[in-house]
Amino acid sequence: MESEQCHSRFGRPLVTFAGEDLGHGRDRQGRLDSVVLPGLTLTLQVGERVALLGQSGSGKSTLLVELRARLGRQAAWCPQHHGLVPTLAVYHNIFMGRLPEHSTLAGLWNLIRPLARPWREVGELCALLGLEGLERRPVGQLSGGQRQRVAIGRALYQGRDLFLGDEPVASVDPHQALRLLALIDERHTTSVVALHQRELALTHFDRVWGLRDGRLVINATASELTLADLDALYPDAEAPVSSLGEEALPAMPGPEALPCARGRP
Amino acid sequence: MSSAHSSHQGHGRHWWQGCTPGLRLARHTLALAALAVVLAPFADIAIHTRDPWAELGRMAMGMAWPAWGSLESPLTAIGLTVAVAIWGTLAGVVLGFPLALLFAHSRLVRAGCAFVRAIHELFWALLFLQVFGLSALTALAALAIPYAGIFAKVYAEILEQTPRAPRDALPPGTGRLMRFVYAELPLVWAQLLAYTRYRFECALRASVLLGFVGLPTLGFHLETAFREGRYHEAGALMWLFYLLIASLPWWSHRRLIPVLLIGGVWLLGPWPSVDGALVWRFVSEDIWPAALLAGDWAGLVEWLARIPDLGPAIGNTLMLGLLGSVGALLVAMVLWPLACRHFGNRGTRLAGHSLLIFLRSTPELMLAFLFLLLLGPSLLPAWLALALHNGALIAFLVARHADALTPGMPGLSASGRLAYELLPRLYPGMLALLYYRAEVILRETAILGMLGVATLGFYIEEGFDYLMFDVAFFLLLITALLNIAVDALSRRLRPREGAVMDDPCVR
Repeated sequence: MESEQCHSRFGRPLVTFAGEDLGHGRDRQGRLDSVVLPGLTLTLQVGERVALLGQSGSGKSTLLVELRARLGRQAAWCPQHHGLVPTLAVYHNIFMGRLPEHSTLAGLWNLIRPLARPWREVGELCALLGLEGLERRPVGQLSGGQRQRVAIGRALYQGRDLFLGDEPVASVDPHQALRLLALIDERHTTSVVALHQRELALTHFDRVWGLRDGRLVINATASELTLADLDALYPDAEAPVSSLGEEALPAMPGPEALPCARGRP
Repeated sequence: MSSAHSSHQGHGRHWWQGCTPGLRLARHTLALAALAVVLAPFADIAIHTRDPWAELGRMAMGMAWPAWGSLESPLTAIGLTVAVAIWGTLAGVVLGFPLALLFAHSRLVRAGCAFVRAIHELFWALLFLQVFGLSALTALAALAIPYAGIFAKVYAEILEQTPRAPRDALPPGTGRLMRFVYAELPLVWAQLLAYTRYRFECALRASVLLGFVGLPTLGFHLETAFREGRYHEAGALMWLFYLLIASLPWWSHRRLIPVLLIGGVWLLGPWPSVDGALVWRFVSEDIWPAALLAGDWAGLVEWLARIPDLGPAIGNTLMLGLLGSVGALLVAMVLWPLACRHFGNRGTRLAGHSLLIFLRSTPELMLAFLFLLLLGPSLLPAWLALALHNGALIAFLVARHADALTPGMPGLSASGRLAYELLPRLYPGMLALLYYRAEVILRETAILGMLGVATLGFYIEEGFDYLMFDVAFFLLLITALLNIAVDALSRRLRPREGAVMDDPCVR
C-alpha cells in the first residue's frame, strides 16, 4: 500500500526514550508518583505510521500523553473520549484546533459571529468528514460517531505534520474507520494511533507498538507480524479470535453469571 | 428511618449497632432529633394569645375575599419589588463573578465572602438605612453585598467542577482567557444561569421583606395591612405576591430582562444625595464603641457588660437554628412523597405541589409574622415558620430527584416503594441538603428577631432603633461569626457517602 512510499523518508528520530520511566504526576524532586511504563526504550522516526496496541490500562494513553508533551506544537492531538465542549457548535469545536493563532479579540468575536476564513476552512473539513450541514449544531446533540469525527476534525484543523490519536476510530463503524485513517494519513507524514482493531493495525500502519502490563512487548514493522502475534497482547482473550466482527462483539455472559437469578434452582 | 438498608442484620438484639450506611444515617438522624427533644423544654415555646382560632378565621376570610379595590398603587409596589430584585441580583453578579475567579486562590477573598454572606439582607438594609436613608440605594446595596459573597462562593464551586478534558485537548499556547471562554465557561454556563435564576427568586422574596424595614416594596403594604388588622387588604396583597411568584417563568423570559432592567431604573429613582462626611463619620465613629476609639480598656469592659442578655440571645439563636433544622427535616420527610410521581394520583400530586410552592415561596419572615399574630410572641411561631419553609424547599428538591428515579422492582406497594426503593436512595442526599440549609436557617433565625423573638436579631434591631450603632454593629459581628462557625460545623457533620443530591439551589 502507501507505506512503501514512506520508507524513503524514515530514519530521522523524532522522539527517543532510552530506558525511561513514564507515569503520572511528579513530586518536588521530579520523581513520578506512579510509574506506568518502567524502563521504556523506544524511537519514533519521521514518516513512520505507528499503530499502538494493548489492553485497556496497558499504558497506551500514558505513552501518547508523554509523546504529546515532548513534541509540543509539532503534533496534532486527538484525545480519548474526544474532550469536546458539548454546548458549543461543531464549528467552534473544530475552530479550537487553531485557537492560539488568533488574537483574543478575534477569538471572542468568533463566538458571536464566525470569522470568514475559518468558517470556510471548517466547512470544507466538515464536508470531508461527512458532517456537512452540522456546523452550527451543538456537539451535545450529535451521535457518538459524529462526535468522534468532530474530534478528528479538530485535530486535522490544527494542520500539523504529526498526528497523535488515542483511539480516534473507536466508536465508528469499520468502513468509516478506514476512511478516517486514510484522511489522517493523507494530511500527516507521521502518526501514532492507539487502536483496538488489530486487523487495521496490520493493514494500515508501518509499525506496531504492542504494550502489555506496562512493557513494550512488540516493536516491529507491520509486515513481519501476524494476528497471532498480536493476540499475545490480550491475555484475557482465551479463544483465538479470527475475524474482525467477532472481536468487536463483547462476549455474552451465560445465564449463571447474570445477577438476577430468576429461574435458577 | 433507613431500616431498609439494615433489615438483613436486624435480627440481633442490638439492631442499631453496625456500620452500614443506612444504620449510620439512622443513628445520625436520631441523635439530631434526640438533641432537639432534650433542648426543646428550655426554649420558650408557649402559646400566648387567648384565642388564636378567631384570628386565624379572620385571616382566612381575608385571603378568601381579598379587597382588591382598597389597594393603593399596587403596581408601583410590585414594580419597585421587581426592580430592586433584578438590579440587586445584577449588581451581585457583577461584584461576585470576579471574586469567584479569585475564590480558590485567595484566603482573604474567601474570608471576606464568608463574612458578607453571614449577615442577612435585612441587617445590611438596617445598616445602610443609617447612611443612605429610605432609598433605592439602601435596597440595592442590601441585596448586592451579601449576594456578591454568595455568588462568589457558589460560582467558584461550580467552576471548580468543570470537566478538564476539553481544556486538556486545546493546542499548546492557548491564552488563559481563550481557554476560559472556549473550554470552561460553555461547560458550566447552564449551571451558572440556573443558579442565578434561583438567586433572583430569593432576591424577589428579600425585596418583599425589605418592606418590613420601611422601604416601600410589597412587604411594606403587607406589614401595615396585617398590623392594622385589615386582613382583606392583606389578602389581596398576598395574592398579588403569589401571582408574581407563580408567573415568574413568563415575565422573567430572557428577552424581557432588558426591558425590566430599563423600566426598573425609572422606578428606583429618585437617588439620594450621599453626604460623604456623614458616611465617613458613621463608618469611622458611630459603629465603634467610644471606649475602643479612645483606647480605654476598662471602659470597653464596662461597655461589654452593659450589652443586654448576650448569652441568652446567642442561646436562643442557636436553639432556634437547631429546632428549625430538625423541624425542616421532619416536614421534608412528610411532604416530599406528596409531590412525587411514585405516589398518589394526579389530584394529590397537584395538591402536594401547590402546598410546596405555597410554603417555599412565602418568605419565612412573613410566615413567622402570621404565626406570631396567631400564637403570640415566643420561639414557637419562628420555629414553625423555619421548619415549614425550609422543609418545603428540601421536599421540593427531593421530590424532583425522586421523579428521576425508576424503581428496579415494579409492582411494590406504596410503603414498600417508599422504604425499599426510594428512601434508601434519597435519604443521604436529603440529610446533606439539610446540612447545607442549616447555615441559611441560622441566618434567618437571626432576622426573626425583628418580629420580637428574643434572638440576636431582636437586640440588633433594638440597637438600631435606639441609635446605639456600636452595640448593633457589635451584635452583627457576633451573628456573622456564629454563622461562620455553624457553617464550618455543618460542613464537618454533613454525610458525604451516597449524597448524590448536591444542588446549589439550597445555599
